Amino acid sequence: MMRTLAIAVTLALGTASLAAQGVMVAPHAVFIDHRVRSGSVLLYNPGTEPVEVAISTIFGYPTTDSTGRIMLDTLMRDSTASALGWVQAFPRRLTVGPRERQTVRLLARPPAGLPDGEYWLRLVIAAQAGRVPITGVADTTAIQVGLTLEVRTIIGVNYRKGPVNTGVTLSQVTAQIVGDSLITRSKLERRGNAAFIGMIRETLVDSTGAVHAQRVGDSVVTTFASPIGVYVAMQPRLASAIPQPGLPRGRYWLRYEVVAEREDLDPTVVLKAPAVRDSVRLVVP
Amino acid sequence: MLALCVGLAGRAAAQAGSSVSVDATVVTVGMTIATLRDLNFGTVIKGVPTTILPTAVNAGEWQVSGSGNAFVIVSFTLPTQLTNIQALPGSTMPIAFTAASAIWRRATNNPVGGAVFNPAIGVVGRLGPPANPTMYVWVGGTVAPAVTAKPGIYKGNVIVSLVYQ
Repeated sequence: MMRTLAIAVTLALGTASLAAQGVMVAPHAVFIDHRVRSGSVLLYNPGTEPVEVAISTIFGYPTTDSTGRIMLDTLMRDSTASALGWVQAFPRRLTVGPRERQTVRLLARPPAGLPDGEYWLRLVIAAQAGRVPITGVADTTAIQVGLTLEVRTIIGVNYRKGPVNTGVTLSQVTAQIVGDSLITRSKLERRGNAAFIGMIRETLVDSTGAVHAQRVGDSVVTTFASPIGVYVAMQPRLASAIPQPGLPRGRYWLRYEVVAEREDLDPTVVLKAPAVRDSVRLVVP
Repeated sequence: MLALCVGLAGRAAAQAGSSVSVDATVVTVGMTIATLRDLNFGTVIKGVPTTILPTAVNAGEWQVSGSGNAFVIVSFTLPTQLTNIQALPGSTMPIAFTAASAIWRRATNNPVGGAVFNPAIGVVGRLGPPANPTMYVWVGGTVAPAVTAKPGIYKGNVIVSLVYQ
């Protein structure tokens, strides 16, 4: 953990060298236990100017639209899993000085008789620094236009009461080659009383069992991996590219698995759950 | 740096079977979203629309850093009007964004070659590999000052939100 935190701070300091304005938020996911009823988030300003920060909370969780695009839905009809009404963040407004850090406290006051399970909200950290680049107009007939850019970091807060468990079911896996891209869809439905936090892994193999590489951005990988948070249900669409010169004609299998593992989170907060797998055939004519 | 790391440390209980109870907040790598550059149209001419492409040197730019290869949901809150902060209330200027007004790119601070997207819809972006876990986002737009636009400074806010899964 110390190594990863050191990397985070190094990154933040590296950001400062670009005269950037923003705050580092750590962690990027908060887990609060009912017995403790509190948590904290650290803000660090790696820049050279003070950053004004506003803290707010919303209810919402990741889902997908009809195209499979992952989005944060904040207009949920079922809010029985919401902790919005009883988890508060303090302070609501603060200024983080250059190279300073400050802590935002999360305090839970759950209602009496709260059933065992996991409850969610999102913490919104809005930061604004610097000024509109235009501070004055010498020519009183001129029109000048500038837009200030504000950043909002939205992280999950999961409140756990009593025994919690999770799992996921996998169905409707599809895969197709579109141009030079491998496009997949699947249907994921959560089981248990807590969100499934894990990874989707995709491996493309040919009829001999040989693995074919995929390209994600500038990286070539043998297994494409995407973090996923299944709070209720979703049908994510994932895309990776097939490196040139493309796939030879033939039959392939896409091995698709969903596992309760996350390299970016402490293993102790990632609930164990059985991996689910499926394979679908692809034909390159 | 050490003090910061200690401040971030948390406690956690052991895991058992398919259930677990944690004892407190647990911490991992942080995430930083930094504004590298505001979106600056500079001086514009009455009656003449002005467009800034996301590849332009005066486009707005953000840098995101965090966990290597992490996916983040990028969404925007975009203004439709800018307000003249030096004139009487009600003096505004329209601003528009197209399906090609934004670009994101992993690990490389150069919009040329990045992935174009519609800022009104947003995108799921991805940070670079562990050796360079960064992502850059650029945004441009078009302002259309009316012939009757009042002189002064027109100001607005573009809000970018990043959601970590």
